[in-house]
Amino acid sequence: MTDPIDADAVVLAGAVQASERQLARRENWRLIRRRPSFVIGMTIVAVWVICALFGDLLAPFHPLDFRTDLNAGPSLSHPFGTDKGGRDVFSRVIAGARDVLKIAPIAAVLGVIGGVVLGMLMGYLRGWFDTIASRIVESFLSLPVVLLGLLAVTTLGNSNFVVIGVVATLFTPIVARTVRSAVLAERDLDYVTSARLRGESSAFIMFREIFPNVSGPIIVELTVRIGYAVFTVATLSFLGAGPPPPSPDWGSQVSDNYNSIVSGYWWSTFFPAMAIASLVIAVNLIADSVQSVLEDS
Amino acid sequence: MTEVRTRSESDPSSNAPALKVDELEVVYTVRGIDRAVLRGVSFEIAPGEAYGLVGESGCGKSTTAFAALRYLPRNGRIVGGHISVAGTDVTGMTDRELQQFRATEASMVYQDPAQAMNPTIRVGAQVIESFTLLGQTKAEATQSAMEALRRVRIADPARVMDRYPFQLSGGMQQRVVIAMALACKPKLLVLDEPTTGLDATVEAEVIDLVHELREESGAAVLMIAHNLGIIRSLCDRVGVMYAGKVVEQGPSGEVFDDPHHPYTVGLLRSLPRHGARKAESRLSTIQGILPQIGADLPTCVYVDRCPIASDTCRTVEPPIVAIGGDAARYTRCHHPDRLAEIVPDAVSVAISVLAPSETRSDVLELSSVSKTFRQRSSVVPALVNVDLTLAEGDTLGIVGESGSGKSTLAKAILGIESSDAGGVVSLDGAAVPAATGDRSTAAKRSMQMVFQNPDSALNRSWSVRRILLRSVNKLTGVKGKEANDRVEALAAHLRLTPRHLDLKPRQLSGGLKQRVAIARAFAGDPRIVVCDEPTSALDVSVQAAILNLLAELQSEQKTSYVFISHDMGVVRYLADRIAVMYLGRIMEIGSTEKIFAGPNHPYTEALLSAVPSLDGNAPDRIPLDGEIPSPANPPSGCVFHTRCHRVIMGLCDVTEPGLVALSDDHAVKCHLTPAQLVEPLVIIGSSSR
Repeated sequence: MTDPIDADAVVLAGAVQASERQLARRENWRLIRRRPSFVIGMTIVAVWVICALFGDLLAPFHPLDFRTDLNAGPSLSHPFGTDKGGRDVFSRVIAGARDVLKIAPIAAVLGVIGGVVLGMLMGYLRGWFDTIASRIVESFLSLPVVLLGLLAVTTLGNSNFVVIGVVATLFTPIVARTVRSAVLAERDLDYVTSARLRGESSAFIMFREIFPNVSGPIIVELTVRIGYAVFTVATLSFLGAGPPPPSPDWGSQVSDNYNSIVSGYWWSTFFPAMAIASLVIAVNLIADSVQSVLEDS
Repeated sequence: MTEVRTRSESDPSSNAPALKVDELEVVYTVRGIDRAVLRGVSFEIAPGEAYGLVGESGCGKSTTAFAALRYLPRNGRIVGGHISVAGTDVTGMTDRELQQFRATEASMVYQDPAQAMNPTIRVGAQVIESFTLLGQTKAEATQSAMEALRRVRIADPARVMDRYPFQLSGGMQQRVVIAMALACKPKLLVLDEPTTGLDATVEAEVIDLVHELREESGAAVLMIAHNLGIIRSLCDRVGVMYAGKVVEQGPSGEVFDDPHHPYTVGLLRSLPRHGARKAESRLSTIQGILPQIGADLPTCVYVDRCPIASDTCRTVEPPIVAIGGDAARYTRCHHPDRLAEIVPDAVSVAISVLAPSETRSDVLELSSVSKTFRQRSSVVPALVNVDLTLAEGDTLGIVGESGSGKSTLAKAILGIESSDAGGVVSLDGAAVPAATGDRSTAAKRSMQMVFQNPDSALNRSWSVRRILLRSVNKLTGVKGKEANDRVEALAAHLRLTPRHLDLKPRQLSGGLKQRVAIARAFAGDPRIVVCDEPTSALDVSVQAAILNLLAELQSEQKTSYVFISHDMGVVRYLADRIAVMYLGRIMEIGSTEKIFAGPNHPYTEALLSAVPSLDGNAPDRIPLDGEIPSPANPPSGCVFHTRCHRVIMGLCDVTEPGLVALSDDHAVKCHLTPAQLVEPLVIIGSSSR
């Protein structure tokens, strides 16, 4: 029996389309690498990651090491000066990267995982579950994040686990709302109907069929959330709900020293604050580039 | 701008063509590369003439229409040739001149009327605006708007003007858009697929309207449509486009009855026409696929798919061959004398026919199946007491306007929407649960579905292999290598090559995607496949290949189809029996021969008369007045009585008729006797098409 559609021609056309698709994907990667904001963001993040990994080798002093010269201004031996306890600010800023780079990404990832699961269930199941969960999500969103964080940390005590848990829980409803709306657009497509017709479970449909098609917004959400997590962790420790005082955490460094600004000792507050700002901005620059490239394609 | 005005005034343009397109070349810039879309398009439309452009998607017909009014998208550019409208050159106009030109000389009507209107502004304000733009005062414009709406046969313009676009039906929206387009008394009206989203009955109304308005206003019309029947019924002349060139042109009747280009021949033969049936012959298809835009093409753009191509076609630009001494009737072909060599199809053998359906057992039976949707306080009966049977290896065609319950019926059969308690869906004589989730694996395996839009039906993140493998695993329980072998056999059976298996759906053409969707439905050797408009998103040559494939699979595997379609030609080709639905009820059911021979239910009669014929012998259309009533509030008595042209008041609006057998395997839900059903009608207000 002869083929009504010439197989060769079809294969050729397929090959053309396939190579064009690859081209587009490579193009995307090239586009994102060409964005100055992405390159700058990645460079800053890389610097902090190096500090977190090899801080002991890079820092000239131990972060908890008390020295004799209190509140000394920036100099060759202390590039960022020393704080009111005589500790080297440069060494403490380097050491501070470790905690925040551990806590913030873990909290953001956990929050996104929680949000994906909740959002998937809400968007796919709809009905009473969605109605109830939506009200809970809205009530969470209406409360100030920092207030809830402080409340949780003061009740549960402040350890890294508690801070991670608190930030993740606060992020879950925010992510859930994004995922829910992405899932709503997918659940009525015919491939979902087809999966139900062959008897797939709801879990399979949600996480194997729908999930890959909503991964774009989830990746964007994850990068954005990491930025917010850095900020939230720093805020909590500034308010005293972070790791306990002697630790070289950026937020607690700022809160320890900010009242000496009036005495002219700006450096012990300025450098940790700049560290927070640089990391938050860097992550947001990356998030922006990822988002705009994913949206264009 | 003044220069433009004087030019068009100094030239009375009485004999200048309404539109003259001369060797037009257009490119689209995609990722920095210019890709040729139009490769030298030339044609002329005389004042008051209607000209149609036909061709498959991607041939450049819409680009031509957009270019004619300089509406090209931002990445489109005219790189050669000229366009002039009523003697005025459009090609070199500045933005201000263009604005003036579009406001006074030419108008365009798009495919989707809902997108042509602002959803947040009342219809009246939008129509009035198109007149105030012409310099009328608010009071004058309101007056003009009322008149304009009356001209497009809107009976109560004041009421329509007070509404928002979404409160109007699709047909009504398109009337309003046409009224706005005609506001400036354009010399040229461009219609780009104006009826594609509409039901056949509404489509027929819009076509009639355009026909009448053209006679009244004297505007020239450029019509783009993929439905050749519409072009034939509306256009004086037609141009057949392929890969950015007009390959054949002439009076529409002559081109469709006596085509002179191999592409036109192929296009026309791939349509199920003249009452073609699957038992009689396969449909012809066109080899190969349409070239991508921007591809380097040989001298004759069609040579790669042409069955009569010679070496000359690859080296020498085909000449324009005038036919019958008329320069406006031509074909762009080296061998117009060898068209007879195009055999209908190399495998034009009849598809083997099964024994008469009476001797085969019923695989599917529905008895008083209903589906009622309940939303808060409202109760919507979408399906009301449907009884039907489907024999093994048979196709049951389901037709009806949108909103008639066709898709709800499909969903109820498959259990996607569970039918109301009281009705029974039986598979091979045994009742199955109403919801898919409650059905056994064997029952799920027995009933599968092919969807209208393969883009939505295939998971875009999965490879073709994964899509098919999962269905094989799940439906047959076969795993591992054996399953993989089965997938490859299945793919080969549907003429997908092993290469295709590792591609993602978006890397495949529309026809190939639909093959994958069909392969998936056949993964577990189903007894019944429900096809919901499986070819309506495809081009005609691809549609032919898919219909052939469905017919072949059916004759090999004795699969039964429930085939939903709005295309009467397609249903006639594939279906053994047809059910006509209206407001969730079956109004007529019978064998395809009997449905097309009549006598028919008045609703079927109206539906059949609305089909624009490609063969040029269209019967007078029976107008279906008004819109389908809301299923939430169905009319009393016979639900069709509000729109029926044979209604007997006092009977039809009081008592609901039962299904009456007219003959063996043919029944209608109507009070009228067979003699009354065939009484000749005097149709008032229908145009002579």
